Amino acid sequence: MIANEVAKNWILLNNEIMIKHDDEYSLDKDKEAVRAYFLEYVNKNTVFFYNLKEKIDYLVENNYYINFYEWFTFEQMEEVFNFVYAKKFRFQSFMAAFKFFQSYALRDDSGEKFLERYEDRVVAVSLFLAREEGVQKAIEYAEIMINQEYQPATPTFLNAGKKRSGELVSCFLDEIGDNLNGIGYAVDSAMKLSSIGGGVSFNISKIRARGEAIKGVDGRAGGVLPIMKIMEDTFSYANQLGQRPGAGAVYLNIFHSDIEEFLDCKKINVDEKVRIKSLSIGIIVPDKFMELAEKDEPCYLIYPHTVMQEYGQYLDELDMDVMYDELITNPNVKKKKINARHLLVKIAQTQKESGYPYIFFKENTNRAHALNGLGRVKFSNLCTEIMQISEVSDINIYGKEDTIRYGISCNLGSLNIATVMDNKRIKETVKTAMRALTVVTDVTDIEMVPSIAKANRELHSVGLGAMNLHGYLAKSFIMYESTEALDFANTFFMMMNYYSLEASMEIAKERQRTFVGFEKSGYADGTYFDQYLIREFQPKTDKVKELFAGIHIPTVEDWTNLKAQVAEHGIYHAYRLAIAPNQSTSYIMNATASVMPIVDIIEVREYGDSTTYYPMPYLTNDNYFYFKSAYDMDQMKVLKLISVIQRHIDQGVSTILHTNSKDSTRDLAKYYIYAHKLGLKSLYYTRTRKSTIEECISCSA
Amino acid sequence: MSKQFTAVNWNTPDNDYALMFWEQNIRQFWIDTEYIPSKDIDSWKGLSWDMKECYKKALGGLTLLDTLQSHTGMPKIIDHIDSLQNKAVLSYMCMMEAIHAKSYSTIFTTVSTTNEINDVFGWVAQNKFLQYKASTIDSHYRAIDKEKVTDEELFMALAASVLLESFLFYSGFFLPLWLCGQGQMVASADIIKKIVADESIHGVFVGLIAQEVFAKLPNKEEVKQRFLALLNDLYENEIKYTEELYTVVGLTAEVKEYVRYNGNKALMNLGFDPIFEVKQVNPIVLNGLNTETTQHDFFSKKSTNYEKATEIVHLKNEDFMMDAVVDI
Repeated sequence: MIANEVAKNWILLNNEIMIKHDDEYSLDKDKEAVRAYFLEYVNKNTVFFYNLKEKIDYLVENNYYINFYEWFTFEQMEEVFNFVYAKKFRFQSFMAAFKFFQSYALRDDSGEKFLERYEDRVVAVSLFLAREEGVQKAIEYAEIMINQEYQPATPTFLNAGKKRSGELVSCFLDEIGDNLNGIGYAVDSAMKLSSIGGGVSFNISKIRARGEAIKGVDGRAGGVLPIMKIMEDTFSYANQLGQRPGAGAVYLNIFHSDIEEFLDCKKINVDEKVRIKSLSIGIIVPDKFMELAEKDEPCYLIYPHTVMQEYGQYLDELDMDVMYDELITNPNVKKKKINARHLLVKIAQTQKESGYPYIFFKENTNRAHALNGLGRVKFSNLCTEIMQISEVSDINIYGKEDTIRYGISCNLGSLNIATVMDNKRIKETVKTAMRALTVVTDVTDIEMVPSIAKANRELHSVGLGAMNLHGYLAKSFIMYESTEALDFANTFFMMMNYYSLEASMEIAKERQRTFVGFEKSGYADGTYFDQYLIREFQPKTDKVKELFAGIHIPTVEDWTNLKAQVAEHGIYHAYRLAIAPNQSTSYIMNATASVMPIVDIIEVREYGDSTTYYPMPYLTNDNYFYFKSAYDMDQMKVLKLISVIQRHIDQGVSTILHTNSKDSTRDLAKYYIYAHKLGLKSLYYTRTRKSTIEECISCSA
Repeated sequence: MSKQFTAVNWNTPDNDYALMFWEQNIRQFWIDTEYIPSKDIDSWKGLSWDMKECYKKALGGLTLLDTLQSHTGMPKIIDHIDSLQNKAVLSYMCMMEAIHAKSYSTIFTTVSTTNEINDVFGWVAQNKFLQYKASTIDSHYRAIDKEKVTDEELFMALAASVLLESFLFYSGFFLPLWLCGQGQMVASADIIKKIVADESIHGVFVGLIAQEVFAKLPNKEEVKQRFLALLNDLYENEIKYTEELYTVVGLTAEVKEYVRYNGNKALMNLGFDPIFEVKQVNPIVLNGLNTETTQHDFFSKKSTNYEKATEIVHLKNEDFMMDAVVDI
């Protein structure tokens, strides 16, 4: 596309929101921007069809849509279209409309004309998902989407129903084995997954450290950095037809002797040879490390290859609570001494300078992990909410059989908390959403990466999340940091857990099939249900009771029944819930992102190709006060709220820390300590609000 | 007796702002190679020939100003500043100006061929408005290139420096910010935003020193008039420069408005009242500088919000004594 260099009216109008009159932003300009955008751009660039039949036939015949006639008659499709169009959907903000047409709407092959409106995309996704189940199901899917109660993640919403499209899932994880075949397999997978638009995360903790032996000769290994360089270049090369830059993450165990070098790769003034610019990094933190920091005892970083030689096991797979003392007293295991508290400060320093690394608390995760009978969770993904079992595959030379084990694949979607609460449809939406996610795992087969295909085939993992928490609380006049917010989250996410489990059980019952290994899980032996059988999760505060008025809240009795049904029929999904950060999709839904607090009354959003101003949903002069910026909140209270949500989520919650540039490394390190003590499974980015020079001068004056 | 040399002693503050500016400068430290202008190659190819020419020239002009500031402006001024701490801050700023001057080349090198780049630098050396701008500022720097200078000469040099930092750069900054607001050349604009953030504290800092010198002048009004004459002279030149650069891309009127807006900012940095009438500055460009809490995803672009960590504080035992009970 040739760039249009004339400033566009709707962009100007959207920018004018920021002009203040009498101390108030010009919020009405946003509506004008939406109008201008439609009148001057969208409508002028949309292909017109004489009637619905002509439209569907054109899209199918010209290879835009899959041939829906294989599953539906025209009349059935018309029924779904009529249902959706009758809802008279309108975009609530410029950001929502712009994001939809910019990134999701189907365009003709020249890229210039739109072939779909929002309603059409919703119908296409619904028909696609319901193609084996029929028109009634299609209407159910369409209803939760057009009501904006449920939003599939980007790859599904973008690609479903299109003839020429990418995959419906886009989140993959895998292990890397410590040999050239294993590394080659990982690079190969990274390239292939990246080319289909996937974000890929690798656990590099098994790689031998810099200076370790190769073929018995000491001092030859290059460590993890060279592999990170290769990964970074691989992701930027394989970039989905240039549409979207590839994205990847690597995780390293904090006891790995390359950890300091690993963290330094993100520092501002670091040598070009070891600088990592676009690859995301995360650290795996076992309890033992936090214990050493707390007791201020000497901490030893360990050379992983010497562990492998001595014990025949990867350092990363050992239970450090049990093995640490053994490792540090064994003279054959090479190690170096550091100060754990200093390392925490170094992590904080790196976060202040780059936002990285992500932190994955390994034991917190596995303590609450229902599949410990099958394996342990070792690391997380690009957004720190996926937490599933994985095991490194043995890749052989040509002609010899590989042993393929579990990689991780996940497909996501989110509830819109505000609409499901207002419509009193938590149960219906969760259950329909679980069906929609299940269809996606059914039709997905990432054949080119067998470890990931195997995981999807056997575990059927999905990740249902939620968005608009802050928006809903604010519009209900509840402060995000309040007790009422904790109370709300505790009931709401319990219900999400309950109905997603019930849906998974029903699917297993219908299909007479559970995920592989169900019988070894905490769902089968019933231990998963323990927390729900000892107490009720009904709301405690009056304000929250009022919000749930007229909605049935599952009781201990309900949970007891569910436990019995799960024991009898099993469940279909090894993993069900994960709270993703969902940014683009939350804009379309006119929602606040995920369960995180907002950053500003009017958010300034930069993408690689645009900057947009986004006034917060439901913002009025009455509730202004409830839209408090995350940067002005007590992060300890935010973490506390996340810990309440985490109780009910079998995988993780993407949790962002919002700090100010004046916060010290000690302040940040205290957040990690608190998050760990609260039982959080991970921390995602740390974002920083810069102090402006005006602030600097005013505080010095 | 020979001259007595003193060492900079940060234990005793020279004034109430040097340390604060020192710290802010360090926090803002960056180098060009952290950024990834190669992401802009596709965007660059999509720009019209005229727009590309304009962009290259705008950046070429900026390179000249940063070169002047790092090679002449800052070093000459440092000579005549009494406070050793202020000298330290200025020499740090001087170093950053050199990084700025180089960083435009990082963008050029990424998107243009060697021939094209040579043409731009040739244009810079030939363009009469740019040369006039540089030589006018330079004459005030050169005026203090001697051992003893009057307060008036020093003030004029400092004021010239503020005009450069807070006023004359902006005709060049306009274009990258304007394009960025519309999704073009976004990665390169990250570098430009870093430069703008630096220039804005440089302007404020030198402005504070200038105000101190001004306060000591016996003939304030006379010097002020002399300064305003300089400002007007440069403003006339800037208007012509803007016309030459921006007319082909149709942005002249908006750039002029932005130049006036920043002229007022320069005046305020020197403690004077604004003199230019400014109606409505293009909001895209204005908003482009407001990056306080900008949201981005780390996959599609690098953030400009992260800064060198200067508040390194270690953990104590009590930091681990936390109550993690949640009673809901």
